[in-house]
Amino acid sequence: MNTAIETNDLMKNFGDVTAVDHLSLRVAKGEIYAFLGLNGAGKTTTIRMLLGMIKPTSGEAFVLGTGIRPGEKKPWNSVGYLVESADSYPELTVRENLEAIQRLRPGTSPKAMDDAIERLGLHPYIDRRAGTLSHGNKQRLGLARAMLHHPQLLILDEPATGLDPAGIVEIRNLLTELVREEGVTVFMSSHILAEVSRLAERIGIIHRGRLVRELDMGELEQERQRRLLIRSRDNQAACGVLVAAGLSASVTSGNTIDVKDKEAIEHPEEIATRLVNAGHAPTMLIVDEEDLEHYFLRLIGMEEGGAG
Amino acid sequence: MKNISQAIWVEALKARRSRLPLFTALGFAMFPLGGGFFLIILKDPEFARKVGLIGAKAQLTMGAADWPTYLNFLALGIAVGGLVLFTFIGSWVFGREYSDRTVKDLLALPTSRSSIVLAKYGVIVFWSAILVAMIFPLALIVGELVGLPPVPSQVLVQGGITLAVTAILTIALVTPIIFFASFGHGYLAPMGVMFLAVALAQVFGFIGYGEFFPWAIPGVYAQGGDLGIVSLVIVVLTCIVGVAGTLLWWEFADQTH
Repeated sequence: MNTAIETNDLMKNFGDVTAVDHLSLRVAKGEIYAFLGLNGAGKTTTIRMLLGMIKPTSGEAFVLGTGIRPGEKKPWNSVGYLVESADSYPELTVRENLEAIQRLRPGTSPKAMDDAIERLGLHPYIDRRAGTLSHGNKQRLGLARAMLHHPQLLILDEPATGLDPAGIVEIRNLLTELVREEGVTVFMSSHILAEVSRLAERIGIIHRGRLVRELDMGELEQERQRRLLIRSRDNQAACGVLVAAGLSASVTSGNTIDVKDKEAIEHPEEIATRLVNAGHAPTMLIVDEEDLEHYFLRLIGMEEGGAG
Repeated sequence: MKNISQAIWVEALKARRSRLPLFTALGFAMFPLGGGFFLIILKDPEFARKVGLIGAKAQLTMGAADWPTYLNFLALGIAVGGLVLFTFIGSWVFGREYSDRTVKDLLALPTSRSSIVLAKYGVIVFWSAILVAMIFPLALIVGELVGLPPVPSQVLVQGGITLAVTAILTIALVTPIIFFASFGHGYLAPMGVMFLAVALAQVFGFIGYGEFFPWAIPGVYAQGGDLGIVSLVIVVLTCIVGVAGTLLWWEFADQTH
């Protein structure tokens, strides 16, 4: 069994509202899978169904090969999770919060708590009450709880929320290390798309409860729109040269020439030569690649100018 | 019940670290102290009027300043005031998981949800029992300070039994009220249900059917009424419904908080 998470036609209705709509996805063992979607897209409902907190209206979910149904043996010994927000008992210290979860996860090695504290950089706060921690440190504590028992699968809902840029990099490195060195599978939802594009190996995009696209980073690379952006002293004239050469060039509102032809993108030096020969030497020539954010918005039909 | 001993340890830690045990202990201390206040008045009503402890028109129907009256007052206090404080404890133990949004971290663990629910009920019962046990020595001290005549051992034993049975009945009846902390995702719902139960208990007591309404039964017993088997069955069933309802809710209801 090489699948860590599998859902088949998973559906959840809350009254008349369909939160998750026939969702089928596969997460392979040992990969980082990012689950993207707007607020209310169905990410957290899906995560709660995977964790057996919400019963699906129909369909099925398997986590580490075990069906998530009431009364079934559950795989929770091998799963660590962080759902929605990293909340802890405010009157308990960081150490006590970790000890509580360690006791509720029997078999966790006594050394595990020190490891988690070390990994998440919580040592300076170990005897502080959790209620007095900053938002970022609460998030670290939540992540420490999720990772405490060295799970095979980490299900993380917005793990980078509240972390400062250094913290985000730290968590990224930690997750990458867990995957590379311990073969951990990470299923994470996120709205920080730049972060996802650096970390994830596969991406699932959910919109209005439906999985609209599932792709790996190689496919994303191919599907991302690319264009050649050019500026010259006389953009209109330079654009005319390119159009006359049979290219679909246009001057954008940002006073930049936008060329979408594949050959122009792959050989920008030929475009530069052509413009220089025509007396309109480029002052700027950039191959612009659509980032994940724009790809995501284009896919769900909310790209700038195309919202709705 | 998978890993229930560890679940009890965790619940006990949360309770120990909160300020609530102190506040509930102070609340429970009010019963013997309040009773002592009434004993002072009953011993010498004229003096009490003179120094302004009571108004001129106060009707003193509590009884004589003696141990049976005092212990009976405490038993009644537990039947009514105890329900309020036990509900408060139970609401905190379950409701705080919702208001602190920590309940989700208890739902997908190797320790079963049933163990966690039973551990919580265990802590509520233990906590409540400690508070009741605290009343007894405090009452003896207050009785001594107020100057009651030495308490005959028979009265003490009988009073102790009445107090203990009233407390057991009241604690048992709090379980369905506490269920509403999970059902209502916080503290408010159980407190509302508790006030409704107390109000209805007054109505049922007034119309003479107190022994058939669960939350009126401890009051009937504390006032010296003989409880029939029907009343006891009602209490046991009510307790079971409360615990089973909470277990089923945690196991099968959609947990969206």
